[in-house]
Amino acid sequence: MSVAFDGNPAKAMQSSHSHPPQTPLSAQEVSQEIKSFINGVDIVQGRKLSVREHARCAMRLLRSVPACRGAVLEHLRGVYDEHVSTFLHNLETEGDSSSGISSNLEDIIQEVHGVLSEFIRLNPRAWAPLVSTWAVDLLGQLSSKHAGRRVAPHSSSLNELLQLWMSCAATRSLMEAYSQCLAAMLAWCPDACVDALLDTSVQHSPHFDWVVAHIGSAFPGTIISRVLACGLKDFCSHGAKDQGLVVMGGDKGSRVPKIGSVVGILGHLAAHHSESIRKELLRMFQESLSPSSPLSPTSSSSSWENSPQLRRAAVPFLLQLAAMSPNLFGAVSAELVELLRPPVLLQLQALLQDLPREELDNMLGLAVHLISQSPSGGAQVLRFLADTATPASVIISGPTPSPHEGVRDGCDRLLQMLLLHLHKLVFNRSDGVEVSPHCVSSQPQRVIPFLEELQSHIGQLCAETLRLERKRHLWLHQLLCLLSVYGGLSVATEAFCQLLTQARSPEELALIHTHTLGPRQLRQLLLNLATAIQSQDEERRGTTGAQSSMAIQVGTAVSGHLHDFGPLLLHGDPTVSHAAVRLLSCSPLPRTSSPAHLLLLSRAAVTHFFLAIRKRGEGSKVGRDGGQGSEAVNCSVLLLSRVAAYSPLTLKAVLQQLVEGALHKGNADLFGGQIADMSGAPVASPSVSTDLGASLLDINCRFGTVVNFSGSVWSVFHAGVIGKGLKVRTAANVPDPFWVIQNVQTLLAVTVQCCSSSGLNASINGSRSPFDPDEPAPINAEAAKVVAVTLVENVCPDVANGELSWPPEEHARTTVERDIHIRRCFEAHPVLFPLLQVVAAGRPALCYCSAVLRGLLATLLAHWEASREALSTDSPWHLQASCLLVSCMGEGQLLPPVLANVHEAFPHLTPFEVRLLLLAVWEYVRGNGPLPQKFVFSSEKAQFCRDFSRDGDVARYVAPIHSVLHKNIDRLGHLCWRFQL
Amino acid sequence: MGDIRQSLLPRDVLSAAKELLYHLDIYICNLLQSGRQPPQVDSKTLELVEEFILHAPKDRNNPRMSALQELQLLEIMCSCFKEQSRDAVRQLMFSALFSLQGNQADESRMTLLGKLVSMAIAVGRVPILECAATWLQRTHRLYCVRLAQVLVDDYCSMVPGSVPTLQNIHSASPRFCCQFITAVTTLYDLSSEELTPPSELLGMIVSWIQDDLRLVLITFLNTPLSGSQPINSLDITPLGGLVRWCVKEPLAYWRDKKPALTNGITGSEPDVGTLFSTLHLSVLQVFMLLPNILNEKGLFGRLALLQLEPLATLTAELSRMLDQAEKQTHMSSVDTHALSQLTLDRLAQALQVAMASGALLCSREDLRAICSRLPHNNLLQLVLSGPVIPHAAHSPIAHTPHAPLASHPSSHPQYPAQPFMTGIPFPFRPSH
Repeated sequence: MSVAFDGNPAKAMQSSHSHPPQTPLSAQEVSQEIKSFINGVDIVQGRKLSVREHARCAMRLLRSVPACRGAVLEHLRGVYDEHVSTFLHNLETEGDSSSGISSNLEDIIQEVHGVLSEFIRLNPRAWAPLVSTWAVDLLGQLSSKHAGRRVAPHSSSLNELLQLWMSCAATRSLMEAYSQCLAAMLAWCPDACVDALLDTSVQHSPHFDWVVAHIGSAFPGTIISRVLACGLKDFCSHGAKDQGLVVMGGDKGSRVPKIGSVVGILGHLAAHHSESIRKELLRMFQESLSPSSPLSPTSSSSSWENSPQLRRAAVPFLLQLAAMSPNLFGAVSAELVELLRPPVLLQLQALLQDLPREELDNMLGLAVHLISQSPSGGAQVLRFLADTATPASVIISGPTPSPHEGVRDGCDRLLQMLLLHLHKLVFNRSDGVEVSPHCVSSQPQRVIPFLEELQSHIGQLCAETLRLERKRHLWLHQLLCLLSVYGGLSVATEAFCQLLTQARSPEELALIHTHTLGPRQLRQLLLNLATAIQSQDEERRGTTGAQSSMAIQVGTAVSGHLHDFGPLLLHGDPTVSHAAVRLLSCSPLPRTSSPAHLLLLSRAAVTHFFLAIRKRGEGSKVGRDGGQGSEAVNCSVLLLSRVAAYSPLTLKAVLQQLVEGALHKGNADLFGGQIADMSGAPVASPSVSTDLGASLLDINCRFGTVVNFSGSVWSVFHAGVIGKGLKVRTAANVPDPFWVIQNVQTLLAVTVQCCSSSGLNASINGSRSPFDPDEPAPINAEAAKVVAVTLVENVCPDVANGELSWPPEEHARTTVERDIHIRRCFEAHPVLFPLLQVVAAGRPALCYCSAVLRGLLATLLAHWEASREALSTDSPWHLQASCLLVSCMGEGQLLPPVLANVHEAFPHLTPFEVRLLLLAVWEYVRGNGPLPQKFVFSSEKAQFCRDFSRDGDVARYVAPIHSVLHKNIDRLGHLCWRFQL
Repeated sequence: MGDIRQSLLPRDVLSAAKELLYHLDIYICNLLQSGRQPPQVDSKTLELVEEFILHAPKDRNNPRMSALQELQLLEIMCSCFKEQSRDAVRQLMFSALFSLQGNQADESRMTLLGKLVSMAIAVGRVPILECAATWLQRTHRLYCVRLAQVLVDDYCSMVPGSVPTLQNIHSASPRFCCQFITAVTTLYDLSSEELTPPSELLGMIVSWIQDDLRLVLITFLNTPLSGSQPINSLDITPLGGLVRWCVKEPLAYWRDKKPALTNGITGSEPDVGTLFSTLHLSVLQVFMLLPNILNEKGLFGRLALLQLEPLATLTAELSRMLDQAEKQTHMSSVDTHALSQLTLDRLAQALQVAMASGALLCSREDLRAICSRLPHNNLLQLVLSGPVIPHAAHSPIAHTPHAPLASHPSSHPQYPAQPFMTGIPFPFRPSH
């Protein structure tokens, strides 16, 4: 190394290469040196010092004036920096070193290094702390400052960085000096040394990592334990509160300086020293538990084990560490669980019980977070938690003796929080997105390692679930649910199959479905499976008899929890509800069940029925899914009839709801109904509403000059508001007639089915009616009565004049309003007529519809009376209504056959004649009241019949018919025989 | 002077400090010229010093100096003290800068003082050392000890080969040197390994005293006895501390040898023994000088340079250390016995000579009381029961008989011979 030194080379060489200097400088010389150093000018010769000379001057001061050491070290920073700059510059200019020689300060660096290392060697206690701090700080500064240089590799490529910096004399020298200090300081105060390292590491985070890595691999054992101890102390002094937020926020190290770099450093070292890191972590845990043992060989003078506060913070600290570094966590988790034996747990509890509640909560949260993120050992952890948390009871004789109560509570809480957390994770995974099994694979979703891992332990989990321990079951069941949702179809299938196959007793089976108000997807899957098994089973039953106890067991289980499944019928997801209906329609009903459950079930079933119909309609409209739609309807019909057949109560409920549903505004269109405006309030058509926006001025001008009807009862009529013209009819969206007919048929079918299979002679035990299977089963009177009463309730707006017997026709004017309403109902709901027919078939139920019939008839009479049309066929609806009405009354035996046949003549008559005939009908009914007691049960026909001979003479009511016949004999001749008495 | 603050504020730290020093110099000159007695630097000025020179941490946006700037400031201060020729001004300035005020600035004050004195030693700036010597006389002993610690660290451990520089203070400023020795003997009481003086320091002190016995007494000689001594300042001579060193040394070095020592003491251990012997001799010789000096001053028998209470503490410590030595078995009992006898011999010699030279004023009963717990030693026995003290001025005085000394000597604050002190203006210092 050539020393281009023109000042005083001899002296420089002497002071730099001989130690200690033989001749201490005189006070005068020292004074001059100080001045030269301060001013950067040679005081004697009055000339500016070169960098090299200046540095040498500094070194002389360092050797002779102790008070200058701070300043000298500060000055040397500049020298080192200069050297690094030159070094990098040379690298960048591809070794164009001709210019580099003059400014290459390598010799100076070596001198400095020599002096410092000599000092450290001679008096490590004094110099090591000083130099180590200085060196680390300078290293940090240099690495940060030059990180952006072109030749400097990116901070992530640690090895290249290490190579670069170790080839630079300045940084290498600093590194060596630091190592020397560390080696010296480890003997008595390693904390201070590592503290400085950590501080700097935090400050110059990514660029400084190479230093830490290098130092760490040079002193693995000490660095690891020291780094941990420092981190713990820092953690303790900062309090765990802030750090809890760090994890949740995911923002590393903003507020908490050291723990971040602790994690970073350990992360580096993990590559080669994972074993010792693991040991250290575990040791920390263990020692935090054991009461301080001063004789422990590992505890040094500054050991944290002796402070109870630190020991208490150790566990939260470890958790925090683990939370921030998956590597570390993975290293410890497995063995940690092994360590948690009852005595250890007791110690842990004793240690942690006086922590403030807030911190405990924090810690629990952290633990939960960790467990859910743990990629391995999850099953073990789970088993441990469940074992520990399971309450001691006489039933259980677990492998572990029952733990302490406090410990148990703790685990219990932890487990519940874990479940809650997993629940959140699972369901927040895909917000808004329907989780179908396909989504899981197609769309990158957050992975929950804990669940991932558990997926391979389903069998074990199921076995655990089926253990007859209440709490364990609840936990594991919840977990299985989550797992199924998480893992999608295959996992759910497996879980369910496992459960079913492993179940050995009804009790165990019963366990399967407790608390199943869980995630919808899981339900869907479970139901699918149940249905599948059930249907398979039915096939099998045909061949091998009642062999398959499985199906029966499942059936019992399902039936036992009918009320849980009920609400699923109304699930927002059609597939779920479909599955539910399938399941329910094929599962037997329980022997006993509470009315509330039954009502709920029937309500759900009916609602679902309408939904299914609508679905079918939509499906067929779009042209897809038709099969499934009608299958759903079939299932629904089946279910309804089964439910109805279950008990009088359900029968009543089902019918009532069916009728109500059919008439409901929302469902009306299914059956060709139009949502007519019943209240009579004006319909605000768009045009009218814009008119209504007229100026306030206009209204005010008119005010007082005109009688103001607006808004009052008098201004509103059925045809519209006076002054606004006729009410605008909303253009009805005319549904597809085929569809309507189909729907009506379905509705009738289900109603009839319900009515006929029901009642006291219901066929619960499979015995069908004793009649010819070709004949439709007679409509049950009670059922029909229900339908009738419901109809009246829905169609008839008030109960005034609701008595069964009819008044004289003139009295009808007192009920005009109500009658109009009834007529409108029939207009709006074509399905009413078929329903009436059903009622009629279930004699004497039609009697109960008396009020409705009367109202309808009254309006029809009014219509025909007022009609100026030439033929009755000119008012088609009224004609049809009249026909249907009369025929219904005939069917219901409110009219004798003679009168009941008059409707056949209607199409051929004039309106007035129709009125005449209808009047005759009225008169008859008035004379012979429609009272149920006039019907007697005929055992031959298995239904009620009316003996008209007991009533008054029919002849006098037939007279008008005959007159009309005569009048139109040319057209009605062929009907005459129908009106013979 | 408070009004210059506004002009200092915008300056950079260094030039502000420099300017303040300049103004301080002028201000103190004026103060002295005004003839106000006593000359007192006002509190505003002290605050300025704290703000602009010491950079006390109380000011929120007070930029700290870099080490280089600090060095420059020290350099400026050095030359400032060098250029000021009037000693009174220097003293006032030094006290304005470095008198402890009991506030937050004291920490930075001590740091800066340490560096300044250390640097003054290096560059041989005598005025500063003189001022520091006065400072050491007036300041609480805890702070004196801290300053001594800084200097010892700097010159005896941090920078190898710089001991000669420190050695020079003997010639540069004997007053400072004397105060330094007092501080060092107070600091290192040999009670533990850390509180054992480094051998370099020991060697240096021995050579100083050997060269010039009167060095030990310089402060005593130069101090007017009328002035009031602050409470808890250092002793006026290092004699008490030196006696303690010499007496405890055999036991202390024996004790510290048992752990495997890593610092340099073990290697030079034989030298240490010799050094302490030399030192002991020197101390005895200094005692021998005392009668003349005291007589010159008219203080013989009236001023106890060696007080009984610290001696009682010393003997109590000795008995404890001897007990420990008995119990430890890592040395042969012969060696232990020899060492303890050496200790007791030195104690007896020191007591004898001190009493004889009038440095220790007490009765033999008192001595017997404080030495009652010590094991047997022929010489000590002689001293305790020995012949009448030859100095007539002292001997016939009857002391009030004291009860045998309890194990807590501090419970007898009235111990020293108070009857002799009546009417004498010399301020008696209670020991704590």
